[in-house]
Amino acid sequence: MNFRCDFAIGRRLARIFLSAACLLWASSAGPTGCGPHRRVTIAVIPRTEGTVIWEAAHVGAELAARRSGVSIYWSAPTREDDVEGQIALVERAVKRHYDGLVLAPDQALSLITPVDSALQHGTPTVIIGSPLPIPAGGELSYILNDDAEGGRMAARRIATLLHGHGTVAVLGIDPDVTAIMIRYRAFEEYLVQNCPGIRIAERRMGSFNFPHEQQVAEETLKAHPDLEAIVALMSTSVDATLSVLASGSEGHPVKVVGFDVAGWPLFDRSSLDSVVQEDTRSMGERAVESIEAERSGAAVPAVTKIPPVVITRDNLNSAQVQEVMAQDWTLGRWNWSIVQ
Amino acid sequence: MKRRVDWRRRLTVSGVLLVTLTAAATGWIAWLHSPDRGLPYRDGFSRQEADEWKALGGTWELVNGTMRNDSDERGAKLLTGSPWWHNYSVEADIDLLGDSGDAGLVIRSGNEEEGVNDYTGYYAGVRLIDNSLVLGRAEHGWMETVKPLPAAGLIRPFQWYHLKLLAWGCQIVAAVNGGRPPGGTTLGITDPNCVQSGRIGLRSYSSGGMWRNVAVRPATQQDLAAMLRDAEDRSSSAAENETSQNPEVNPNSSLLDEDQESAPSNPNTLAIARLRLMSVAQPVTASIRGVVILTEPRLYVEDSTGGVYVPDPKAPLLKVGDEVEVTGVVHPGDFSSTMVNATVKVLWAGTPMPPLSVTAAQASTGSYDATFIEVRGHLAHKERGPGNTLVLRIDEGAQSFRAILNPGRSDYLYSRLKPNSTLRLRGICVVDPALTHNLTPFVLLLRSNEDLDIIAGPPWWSTAHVIAIVLAIVMLVLVGVVLYHRVENWRLRTILEERGRLAHEMHDTLAQSFAGIGFQLQAIRNGLPSGMPALQEQLELASNLVRHSHEEARRSIASLRSESLESGDLVAGLESCARRLVEGGSVQVISERQGEPRPIPLRITDSIYRIGQEAVANAVRHARPTRLTIRLTYRDDSVCLQIEDDGSGFVPGSGLLGFGIRGMRRRAQSVAAAFRIDSEPGRGTKVTVIAALPPRLTLGAWSGILWRRMREHSIDARPARTANSNLYRG
Repeated sequence: MNFRCDFAIGRRLARIFLSAACLLWASSAGPTGCGPHRRVTIAVIPRTEGTVIWEAAHVGAELAARRSGVSIYWSAPTREDDVEGQIALVERAVKRHYDGLVLAPDQALSLITPVDSALQHGTPTVIIGSPLPIPAGGELSYILNDDAEGGRMAARRIATLLHGHGTVAVLGIDPDVTAIMIRYRAFEEYLVQNCPGIRIAERRMGSFNFPHEQQVAEETLKAHPDLEAIVALMSTSVDATLSVLASGSEGHPVKVVGFDVAGWPLFDRSSLDSVVQEDTRSMGERAVESIEAERSGAAVPAVTKIPPVVITRDNLNSAQVQEVMAQDWTLGRWNWSIVQ
Repeated sequence: MKRRVDWRRRLTVSGVLLVTLTAAATGWIAWLHSPDRGLPYRDGFSRQEADEWKALGGTWELVNGTMRNDSDERGAKLLTGSPWWHNYSVEADIDLLGDSGDAGLVIRSGNEEEGVNDYTGYYAGVRLIDNSLVLGRAEHGWMETVKPLPAAGLIRPFQWYHLKLLAWGCQIVAAVNGGRPPGGTTLGITDPNCVQSGRIGLRSYSSGGMWRNVAVRPATQQDLAAMLRDAEDRSSSAAENETSQNPEVNPNSSLLDEDQESAPSNPNTLAIARLRLMSVAQPVTASIRGVVILTEPRLYVEDSTGGVYVPDPKAPLLKVGDEVEVTGVVHPGDFSSTMVNATVKVLWAGTPMPPLSVTAAQASTGSYDATFIEVRGHLAHKERGPGNTLVLRIDEGAQSFRAILNPGRSDYLYSRLKPNSTLRLRGICVVDPALTHNLTPFVLLLRSNEDLDIIAGPPWWSTAHVIAIVLAIVMLVLVGVVLYHRVENWRLRTILEERGRLAHEMHDTLAQSFAGIGFQLQAIRNGLPSGMPALQEQLELASNLVRHSHEEARRSIASLRSESLESGDLVAGLESCARRLVEGGSVQVISERQGEPRPIPLRITDSIYRIGQEAVANAVRHARPTRLTIRLTYRDDSVCLQIEDDGSGFVPGSGLLGFGIRGMRRRAQSVAAAFRIDSEPGRGTKVTVIAALPPRLTLGAWSGILWRRMREHSIDARPARTANSNLYRG
């Protein structure tokens, strides 16, 4: 009797213990529960969210996720320079044991340790947009914007605008984002090699502080009245420069070539000539595919470079541009229809 | 009496021990305060050993067997020795590493703090600016006397001098020899209110310096007189000095650019931050001005806007704090720039820059690349890197970084650093992948041991400490249990002794009285005439009552006596008891012992013995047996006593509790023993008592106990006394 009682109590205790352990594990592990039908979840952390450029990446990621039958955890800081916020998101993704991590880093150096930690935990990781100093290999791969080509595209555009002679200013140089530095160097090297008649009259550091970028643009225009073109390497510089030029007191006939605008390009401003836009939609899509391939044991390329697209007034409505700037959520998991 | 002797012996031993300890402590304190402790002393620089030295300011490192301070800090000190050194001399070879300031030795130093003259003691040094030997007293202030060397220009940088400083009583004498051409001078002071004792130190002021062959010896009045005599004949004493015989020129002197002074300064210098905005495609030559923040293994120069790396510069020997002008080809980097093919011109010696205090997260952004920063973190790992450098892995928040320290004096530091310690580090923040290997966002290049402070050791709740605490608690519990049992035993022994005393008292008084009364009654009966039957009958009744009471008294005395029990042999004790009870009768007493005997706690022994006594007495008095068996069985975890007779027996539960059974049951309950009586009319009686024994203290036994306890709790086992009661009823 005692023995039977003992066994019954033991079984009951064991069941209670297992249930508690399961609950604890489930609460700490996020999507990795005890049930047999756990869904694969990939964390996608872009530089920021709520902007056209990064929501396109969301669309691409959702498309790939729907094809693969996985789910996406999407979250990002509210500003591109909120590095600590992005680090916290990466740490959360690692803690929750997501099946993969797609990250567009806000800062090249600060993300080394968190990404290294993710790799140590065995999380397949794909860096999109701008590279980190960590070499690819193992469970880390890169799907990057071809920024060197982007820089050359901008240089060619400037060369065309200035007919090989003139002065240009480069604004928005931000060493925090390696991609910006790559495009800056490629731009200058192209001009030095191919357009010796074009002189870079001013180089200014950039930030994601709009008033500061406005001030920089104003100072540059005042200091160089003969300036013919401005290359703005980051979205804030583009918007700030266009804003200063639109105020129009100086009446500068300056043309602006921008990079990676956050929303739709403001071609209603006559100063804006073109925008070199990275194809974040393709990056998001291919990053999720890469994680799935990695999980299934297939070989994935260590580094993939996706060429950016030059958007002008002429090709704004082209299929290619529409796809790069895609905001069509019906492509993803939101299959709603609008009631008329 | 015996106790008194014990106490006296204990007091004697304690007294001797106390006196010995006091003498040892006094001796130790006297040794610590001895003015000769540690003398004579020679440095271990040539063996790369300098653990006993403590730095206050400067960047002190061991380089090729010399102690070197590559800093222009004013009043940087490196100290060692006993604060009780009194009359002694200190001497060393000294080399000035700059064309300004002075370097020398400190004697009788105390109350040292970081700062220019923040110590108490005497300093003597060679000073370049006035080509002199300077001797003075510091007491958080400074007073000096100066004696120029005999020939102009005798004191020069990058040249070895031999400096000796002697303190005897309140006379302080300094002498310097060496240089090119050889020369020297002696300078002494008498300080009526002198500093009496103190340590030695190496010190420099607005100049770097190198020291070697540091030697400290006890000094006598004759030594003082000899030094003063030597002053009269400088040339001969200089000839005896090895350094002055072979005037040795520091190889670094070639690094002192004679044309530095004449080279014009560039009026179009740029702020260092502006270098990053120079053309990345076309090489541009530029000039900057800044302060040297690191010389080894790399040269970094910083101004208020940032820092720059200058690889393989054409430069004189540079020291931290030198204000320099750098001209070179600019290679703009993402976070800082590099100036290659650079020429460095020293503008003037300066005080090293203080670090900028930042967090690891801020440093990880690269914004502080090539600048001197202070950062905190927790030591995660330490190892030796290439070239025997000390490499520390530091964690702070979400960031990790590495700190690298040149081998120099890092051995001492290496042994002191414990993982998980909280550190404050000062060094040059570098994000160059050549150093970070892309493993961490940045590395910190430390200049010397003094760039690392241990703010707090590892937290006490480390795994090892927790295990130690648990073990200590277990040990305390064990000691407590042992002490408890020891006290219980003492208490029981006291009770047994008291019982023995009562038994003796009863034997000497009560039993003797009963015997006397019996004799008296018998005498009355014998003397009574035969015609009084009623009286005869009453006397017979009284005699019987007295006999019965006498027997009861004897039985009580027997049960109170514990001689048999004290022998520790339960069976022998009970057998002896039984044989006394059946003495003169025909009852056969058989005793058996089974199993491997083992110690039984006194409390259990006493209870079982009393139960056995009662059972034997019951059998003899009430059952009329022909055979009485006493059986003691030792089991692994219990001991079992059975008293079995072949007497009349009885019906269990028939109200025969008066036979001491209630007392036996109570005794069994008191030691959580199982008690059982098996009896049938005509078939004898068997009394069984089973008492659990404490387990043997082995690892297996501990786990077994734990498992049993858990099982008992899980099945809500009833207490032993309830089981005992059930058994009894059955």
